[in-house]
Amino acid sequence: MAIATAGHIGVASHHDHIHPEPQSFIGKYIFSIDAKVIGIQYMVVGLLFFIVSGLLAEIVRAQLLTPTGAIVSNDTYNGVYSLHASGMIWMTIIPLVTGGFGNYVMPLMLGQRDVAFPWLNLVAFWMFPVAGVLLFGSFLVGAPDAGWTEYPPISLQGPPGTSLWCVAIFLVGISSSLTGINFLVTIFKMRAPGMTFTRMPLFVWAQMATAMLNMIATTALAAALAALFLERQFDIPFYDPGRGGSPVLWQHMFWFYSHPAVYIMILPAFGIVSEVFATFSRKPIFGYKMIAFSSIAIALLGFMVWAHHMFTSGMAPWLQLPFMILTMVVAVPTGVKIFSWLATLWGGKIEFHPAMLFSLGFLIVFTFGGITGVFLSSVPADLYFHGTYFVVAHIHYVLFGGSIFGIYAGVYYWWPKMTGRMMSYKLGVAHFWATFVAFNITFLPMHWVGLQGMPRRVAQYRPEFQFWNDVESIGSFILAGSTLIFLYAIAESMLKGKKAPANPWGARTLEWQVSSPPPYYNFKKIPAVLTNPYDFGEPLPYVGLVRDASNPEHPSTGRASSGTPAHA
Amino acid sequence: MAVTSFSSLNTSHEAVHARYESVDSLYRETRDMRLLGFVLFLISDVVLFSAYIFAYLYLRNSVPNWPPINKDGHQLPRFDVAFAAINSCVLFGSGATMHFAMESWKHLKKPAFNMWMIATIVLGVLFLGGQAYEYHNAQVTWSGSTLGATFFTLTGLHGFHVFVGVIYLAVLYWQANKGVYTGSKYFGLTAGTLYWHFVDVIWVALFYLFYLM
Repeated sequence: MAIATAGHIGVASHHDHIHPEPQSFIGKYIFSIDAKVIGIQYMVVGLLFFIVSGLLAEIVRAQLLTPTGAIVSNDTYNGVYSLHASGMIWMTIIPLVTGGFGNYVMPLMLGQRDVAFPWLNLVAFWMFPVAGVLLFGSFLVGAPDAGWTEYPPISLQGPPGTSLWCVAIFLVGISSSLTGINFLVTIFKMRAPGMTFTRMPLFVWAQMATAMLNMIATTALAAALAALFLERQFDIPFYDPGRGGSPVLWQHMFWFYSHPAVYIMILPAFGIVSEVFATFSRKPIFGYKMIAFSSIAIALLGFMVWAHHMFTSGMAPWLQLPFMILTMVVAVPTGVKIFSWLATLWGGKIEFHPAMLFSLGFLIVFTFGGITGVFLSSVPADLYFHGTYFVVAHIHYVLFGGSIFGIYAGVYYWWPKMTGRMMSYKLGVAHFWATFVAFNITFLPMHWVGLQGMPRRVAQYRPEFQFWNDVESIGSFILAGSTLIFLYAIAESMLKGKKAPANPWGARTLEWQVSSPPPYYNFKKIPAVLTNPYDFGEPLPYVGLVRDASNPEHPSTGRASSGTPAHA
Repeated sequence: MAVTSFSSLNTSHEAVHARYESVDSLYRETRDMRLLGFVLFLISDVVLFSAYIFAYLYLRNSVPNWPPINKDGHQLPRFDVAFAAINSCVLFGSGATMHFAMESWKHLKKPAFNMWMIATIVLGVLFLGGQAYEYHNAQVTWSGSTLGATFFTLTGLHGFHVFVGVIYLAVLYWQANKGVYTGSKYFGLTAGTLYWHFVDVIWVALFYLFYLM
């Protein structure tokens, strides 16, 4: 048992303190407590559910090719769009951005070996696939048909699958609540020496704000879901207006969670693009503290705006005003971020890597979606927009254009780190352009179709909307095709991708200072941190990193000396 | 051969390094982390109760008269305060005995600790018995009215917490006598105390909402 001495700082010596690496297949890949493995597990399962939910969306678009759409029955159609949204939100985006990227990247960025409670992490992960199977399995007994919001009284009369939906979302909610607690303790108590809060990477700041939301808001959803389940299964009145209950009570409890959930989905994406912008502009990030603190501001404001989803639910006018104003205020910290990113790009040495392309695409479409969000927060406008395709357009601009573009950017950015292999640069660029163009063909016309009065969640519509609905449907088929490029790029990289160097992009955060993929214990010795990681052009701000042939360092730029850009 | 990365950096970096050299924070679950994690768990538990309390107040304010009318048409009575007050005292008393148990442990008085722990567990079980008696004699049903729905959901959720707490305290008692905890390392006991007081405080709110308000 070797002990590090002052003269041999770099020598690994503390193996006896690191929990030993499991050797069996099950311990290593199935029931692993290593946050990196759990992160990849989240991603694999999340990708599966992403494909299923995406196929459901294609059924919706196929149905809407003709005004009398006869692909599926009306009842099935209701189930299809309800599960499309539920699957995308709870089984894809939230697990990917928190459990997936959070678990893989965050402990590495903090210079740590794992999250605070690895066993809790394992438990939280395994609730997620079980929940997903329950959710999509509800098709077998009659899928929930009241949309992803499941408003009573429709959800009280819904098919048996609605109760399964309650259980599935409850489970995945507990999972993200536990993950939130785990991440908060990790961030508060397990940073590398010298890593003060204002030296943390921006992705970690975003995860911190997200974890707060997850920990607090998700239990409110659990309460609402349990009450709906009790009312459906045991006849306990909460929401049935005929028995003294109130459907609006569900809306309050549901949106108290589900509005923060929008920020749960978008804040980690903000964190991802912050990392990507800094790295591929090769410039210190502009307004580090502003980007960091605005995440917390968005999280706090997120708890005070839920009733803007309920302007048409018979709310007192004096109550609408504060919710409207607070909702508009959310645009301020979001705008701070957007202008900070623009200033980071300004004058930078921009490299149009696929991760950067998706981040730039994110900047454009998310800003667009954010602005329609301000439209929707205005009470008089909302009374008109409510329940139309304009809302559908808005939600897809912020969730697809925001969260999913952010996830794509994160995959292209961290793929070499996670797998140890490079991804095709050309396929990535093709994927981006196909996705970006198809995305806009699909969702842009929804704005004016909605303004002209086409309601959401309908299986048939007035014939005059057919042209733009056909455009949207064709766009969505191209969008599905663009996802095939992505899947092909993944397969190609895994089968014959070039071996990735430790730091292919010359990034400065800690996860790039260890080999790709990182060893089980992440860091042979926990490094000390001197400043925030975005000072491009300065020496790396870490002391005590163990360097060897697997993770060499270029003396001046921090760019790995053996690493060459993938497209070179 | 391992090399170090800071050879090119200036001497102030060397100084920082020397300072952190001994701090190699390897993974281990410290008391700090467990305490923070447990407190965060309790906070999210508070949100769970708050959501149902909100539901109770919302439903209460959406009808003209409270207590409401049952589904068979008769006016529901108010709950009997006297019995619930006695039962509340049992639970608050268990909070006090828990406090004494913890103090005894800190002062290394093992027999006193054992006595107070057993008292706490017995009072907890008594409270649950009182709740069962109350449920048995209640004039409301869970499906009859929103009062019944919120009453049984909230007190049931609380009762479940007490039930888990009694088992938790029994395990702690067993562990303490097996020598799992020492005079300076007793995080499990701290967490148990926190949890038990938390359950007490929640009951204060429920008692006010259902019996006094």
